[in-house]
Amino acid sequence: MDEPRIGVFVCHCGINIAAYVNVPELVEYAKGLPNVVHAERNLFTCSEEGISAIKRGIKEYDLNRVLVASCTPRTHEPLFRAACEDAGLNKYLFEFVNIRDQCSWVHMREPERATEKARDLIRMGVAKARLLEPLEEIEVKVAPSALVIGGGVVGMEAALNLARQGFDVHLVEKEPELGGTLRSVHKLFPTNQEATKLIRLFVEQVEKHPKIRTYLSSKVKEVTGFIGNFDVNLDGKGGKSKFNVGTIVVATGADKLKPVGQYGYGKMPNVITQLELEERMKRGEPLGQNVVMVNCVGARIPERTYCSRICCMTAIKNASLIKESNPETRVWILHRDLMTYGVDFEKYQRRAMEMGVRFIRYSLEKPPEVVGDKKAERINVYHELWGRDMELPCDMLVLTTPLIAGEDNQDISKMLKVSLDEFGFFLEAHLKLRPVEFAVDGIYICGSARWPTDVAEGVSQAFAATSKAAGPLRMGYVKPEAINAFVDEDKCSGCGICELLCPFQAIELQPRGDRRVSHVSEAVCKGCGTCSVACPSGALTMHHFTNEQILAQVEALFS
Amino acid sequence: MSNRENGRKSVLVIGGGIAGIQASLDLANMGFKIYLVEKLPSIGGRMAQLDKTFPTNDCAMCILAPKMIEASTHKNIELLTYCEVEKITGETGKFKVKVKKRSSFVDWDKCTGCGLCIEDCPVILPNEFDQGIGKRKAIYMLFPQAVPKKCVIDKREDRPCKAACVDACPVHTNIPGYIKLIAEREFKEAYKLIRDTNPLPACVGRVCYAPCQDVCNRGEIDDPLCIRDLKRVPSDQWSIEELEVPPITKTDKKVAVIGSGPAGLAAANDLALRGHKVTIFEALSEPGGMLRVGIPEYRLPKEVLRQEIGYIQKLGIDIKTDMQVGKDISLEELRKAYDAVFLGIGAHGGMKLGVEGEDISGVMEGIEFLRAVNLGERLGVGKKVAVIGGGNTAIDCARTAKRLGAKEVTIFYRRSRAEMPASSEEVTSAEEEDIKIEFLTVPSRFFAENKKLATMACVQMKLGEPDASGRPRPIPIEGSEFTISVDTVIAALGQAPEADFAKQSGVSLSKKGMIEINANTGVTSVEGIFAGGDVVTGAAFVIDAIAAGKRAARSMDQYLNGQPLEPEEEWKEPEQLSQKEIENLKERFSSRNRVEMREEPVKKRTQDFREVTLGYSLEEALEESSRCLAGQIEGCIECHECERRCEPKAIMYTKKNESIELKVGAIIVASGLGLYDVSTLTEYGYGKIKNVITAMEFERLTAASGPTMGELKRPSDGKIPENIAFIQCVGSRDFRYKAYCSSVCCMHSTKEAMLAFEHHAGTRSTIFYMDMRAVGKRFQEYITRAKEEYNVTYIRSRPGRIEVNPENGNPIIWYEETTSGEVKKCEAELVVLAQAMVPQISREFAETLGIELDEDGFVRTVDRFLQPLDTTKPGIFACGYVHSPRDIPDSVTQASGAAGRVAEEIASSRLNRDSQGGN
Repeated sequence: MDEPRIGVFVCHCGINIAAYVNVPELVEYAKGLPNVVHAERNLFTCSEEGISAIKRGIKEYDLNRVLVASCTPRTHEPLFRAACEDAGLNKYLFEFVNIRDQCSWVHMREPERATEKARDLIRMGVAKARLLEPLEEIEVKVAPSALVIGGGVVGMEAALNLARQGFDVHLVEKEPELGGTLRSVHKLFPTNQEATKLIRLFVEQVEKHPKIRTYLSSKVKEVTGFIGNFDVNLDGKGGKSKFNVGTIVVATGADKLKPVGQYGYGKMPNVITQLELEERMKRGEPLGQNVVMVNCVGARIPERTYCSRICCMTAIKNASLIKESNPETRVWILHRDLMTYGVDFEKYQRRAMEMGVRFIRYSLEKPPEVVGDKKAERINVYHELWGRDMELPCDMLVLTTPLIAGEDNQDISKMLKVSLDEFGFFLEAHLKLRPVEFAVDGIYICGSARWPTDVAEGVSQAFAATSKAAGPLRMGYVKPEAINAFVDEDKCSGCGICELLCPFQAIELQPRGDRRVSHVSEAVCKGCGTCSVACPSGALTMHHFTNEQILAQVEALFS
Repeated sequence: MSNRENGRKSVLVIGGGIAGIQASLDLANMGFKIYLVEKLPSIGGRMAQLDKTFPTNDCAMCILAPKMIEASTHKNIELLTYCEVEKITGETGKFKVKVKKRSSFVDWDKCTGCGLCIEDCPVILPNEFDQGIGKRKAIYMLFPQAVPKKCVIDKREDRPCKAACVDACPVHTNIPGYIKLIAEREFKEAYKLIRDTNPLPACVGRVCYAPCQDVCNRGEIDDPLCIRDLKRVPSDQWSIEELEVPPITKTDKKVAVIGSGPAGLAAANDLALRGHKVTIFEALSEPGGMLRVGIPEYRLPKEVLRQEIGYIQKLGIDIKTDMQVGKDISLEELRKAYDAVFLGIGAHGGMKLGVEGEDISGVMEGIEFLRAVNLGERLGVGKKVAVIGGGNTAIDCARTAKRLGAKEVTIFYRRSRAEMPASSEEVTSAEEEDIKIEFLTVPSRFFAENKKLATMACVQMKLGEPDASGRPRPIPIEGSEFTISVDTVIAALGQAPEADFAKQSGVSLSKKGMIEINANTGVTSVEGIFAGGDVVTGAAFVIDAIAAGKRAARSMDQYLNGQPLEPEEEWKEPEQLSQKEIENLKERFSSRNRVEMREEPVKKRTQDFREVTLGYSLEEALEESSRCLAGQIEGCIECHECERRCEPKAIMYTKKNESIELKVGAIIVASGLGLYDVSTLTEYGYGKIKNVITAMEFERLTAASGPTMGELKRPSDGKIPENIAFIQCVGSRDFRYKAYCSSVCCMHSTKEAMLAFEHHAGTRSTIFYMDMRAVGKRFQEYITRAKEEYNVTYIRSRPGRIEVNPENGNPIIWYEETTSGEVKKCEAELVVLAQAMVPQISREFAETLGIELDEDGFVRTVDRFLQPLDTTKPGIFACGYVHSPRDIPDSVTQASGAAGRVAEEIASSRLNRDSQGGN
């Protein structure tokens, strides 16, 4: 490799960095660092202007290393790497220094020290950049098939979408029939159409589609491999199955909270949940003259802070349906904030009021009380808007409970190496801009498994997830990162520690003549570096994070 | 089917917001060819206007920019910004789309997005991207991170006049431009714009002969503009001392400028701005040349000149006074010490009458007389003063003599009034000051008594055939001699340069002693020596000397950089309006007389050397400047300033709209959201109460690239508000306006309250709401954080009205607290209204697409559960806010969903076709 010629681009990020860190000073500082032949600053290095500044810099100053000091590699590294590639530089000769998320944002109140830290970070980045080496990416073939986990309407829609595009789909449902949560639902808001009819429409299409293979009463037992090449093992009623898929869609839905011990639930026979109410309504059972519903039971409370999005509408729908079938029945909904967002829900709620459903706002501080011994006879509630206590007659008390994370989520998360959020729902790659992707390539998420969602939103999400899942399937190949582990077989003692530790099952011992040495599967390796740290013989090197590179950074820090 | 078989189909995506971008990227990654049509000049949509985004408080631009760049660089995506879909025919799988490419009047293949053109554009318009809070120019970039990063000219109609003024001006000052800026009260900018072509705006604005006014096209309708008088307005209304020195890239070249008159100052100014080190050598004790010693104080106050020279000095120019080249230092020495020399020594030599008695004390030469007075010499003049000559100098001498105490001042001129070279304005002013003019009279001899001038003999003349100058030759009338008594005679016959010293260096002079140059470049006969101004032309006008200095500076810069000398391109001749144009304009614009500049009354002004003209008042200046025909139109006035600035020559005023036709298999509508006009709601006083703003305006006020560079200042007084009230559901959930819930306001108001706190720790926010709809992932926790860490209080109430505290401009919100039923008031420093949002799609456009909208204007879908993203027309899909009210994550999800549907639609239609009868 030629003598390093490093270009440093320091980003103002508008005021995100420049308001706390002295950017012009950093530029001057960078100019004085070894092998830095050019340094400049940009208002936004990620803007078209900044990108062309990088490209221009590479050409004008004959740069063979580029360092950008800005926000975070999480969102911006691909962009800057692409700029380098466009200008003819191997993208692994790019180094990112995070002076925003890890510097200006954390040290807003101490700008001088923030600048000092940014100087340190840039010096370290330059020290590493001097030792960067070009890396080549391999091309991995993608199997033209997908796995969809979960046979609710969201999972079925995902399967149908991929199948219609011509891909083989394996649809796995743990229950003996398709339909998921909707099977217990009576009618759907805001159209009041019957849930079972909708399920039937989906099931018919799934069943007749030649590209979809459905596995009922089955669970995914093991998934190994990587994007383009996942090996899937199933355990099911029909025995074990094994197949290979290119991508995976998770659509496992959510569970319903059973509010045991609250408002007499489980003790009093006339205290039920909305879902139980739906089942009774489906069967046409009488509900009594006075129906009281309490919303946010087990939701938006300190123990479970979130709002599960669909419950207000569920309650209003059921209340309306009661009023529709028997206008004489009195229905009260005791609620907190009413989450009837958007056009149709707001309209639906107004219609419910017109039909005579009574809405009473209660506060978390003064929740409703159940009066009665064996059964709920009356409900006392403080009417927040009227500012007085009320006593409501009650023949049936319906508790509106939130959706909670599915019980299998833990297992699935471990199996697929994807994360869960603090509530046990699946965690997307980026809340705003990558809502249906996991951080792991090739696995996608939709429906209530990610967050409570109604049918229309869930189906839209199914399309979204399949749009991502179909990308690699249609292209037929992917190019994983070249930042991965490399074994020096001469040094490897074959102890197997790396194989044991690798969280991605990317390493296995393979025979080499009379001994066994570690072998890294490049496509599986995620470049986490665990192996290279653990290797007692120093046989494992992490590309792009070599010992030399990291030590150079450490030395630069303390120099 | 082969995995690799893709790219066969194209997709049209309408709307370049985050939803449109995401849909495009997903489809492009699947191998489809995408046409992304956006009607604005950049993609980015509403998200680009946001400061941060809930609930992560990610900087909106920071997460959007990579997506925009990715879309613009993706090989499968063709961005069609500043374009509109005009017509769609065909059906799913085979749509034909007609797209109108609006003319940006900028050649985007050449535009580099450098923005140099924007800075000096004189047309200031409200910036729609900043919700009208900030300003933008007629040539603009939508926002700093625009993709594509290209400029657009907001040109709405052709300029009504020919801007003949610019063509007539010797330095081609952007006259419509600076007059527009004056009309917009942008005095500093106006001064800067004039200064780009003329380093002495305040001086020239007093003494110019204003050839521009003679050709002003308005003059063909009623009166020409008072262009010269307007030129001094910027420096009257604003102080030159406040003008900053621009950043200058220094070269290592040194230049000597000889003479600090208008030519020398102009040359020095331009050379210094180009980075060369300039030293001016001035023979007199004060810099300014004829401006300083030729023009009397009452026409050009010394202080005005001092300020303008002062600024030129700030550019790093050294002025050495009392250094006469040829005497104190030789031209040869300068030639050796400097890389180039400019000779701008003017014409300061007086001319003799050549009659007997001229050496009698009491007979003075005009230019010397003015110089002495201007340099503060106490010169006495007698009671009866005779001034000989008919030029401006003669008038200056006469009026100066009057001010020095002469009782009777008479000008003697050998031709008639019609031939007088002095400007008619000057003659009129002189006559107002009781100065007599004797025409067709020439002195023939002066007589002394007691060694003092006593009488002057004169001869009467008559006019004969034209002479070499084209004027009739005065011929003495025999026997017409007469004698008058006189105390002082001032002979102002003309000036000649004193350039003999230059000969020694080989500079060739004309017979009349003037330096000979190439008129296009200012080059003399000696390499490295340039010249211009009166020393070349003989006594002429200030602006011509400035033009000569600038011309020479341009050549000198080329010379110093080792480039070939290229003269400036020829300017076109001033054009007149056609008779038809005149008639049309007369019909369109009512006749308005010019605003004459007021003057000091004669009695007062002749007592001393006070300035005669009083300048325009602000109102007069605005009135007169608003007469300019070019400024009568909205948008670009075609002053061509951008064209002068644009280095890649990308400006194309004549560029026309174009139409293109695309063939696509499917269409995604993602045209986003509009903002409901809340000024129709009277109760909150939006549009009337200054400190009541909308949420989107707030967003621009906190955005780093917004009009305040991210400083949250309230509109009335720029104070940082420490107590902010947010009112929810303004126009939403309200039968009078929009019955639906806009779905995102609860969260964005909470975010904005947090941002206010982040901008200014301790800021208190109160959010008046009906229901706090925090239904998304991490939204409830976000609200809790706002309460616990960001000083945000939520009050459940719908405020009834807002009034203003007259003492401090604070809005006072009257509301009924729903929990207590009490009517209360809350005073805040700023009120932010969560305005309703509407789908951004018109019924007409929906018709063009052939899709249906619901009663609220959102795109109607086929089946809520089975095909939630399908419009009523097969092959056309919708996502984002135009589909239904939703936030960014939901819009992004839908966008990917629509992409998924398109992929399925195109694939399945093909599969069905491929396997007819099967399946």
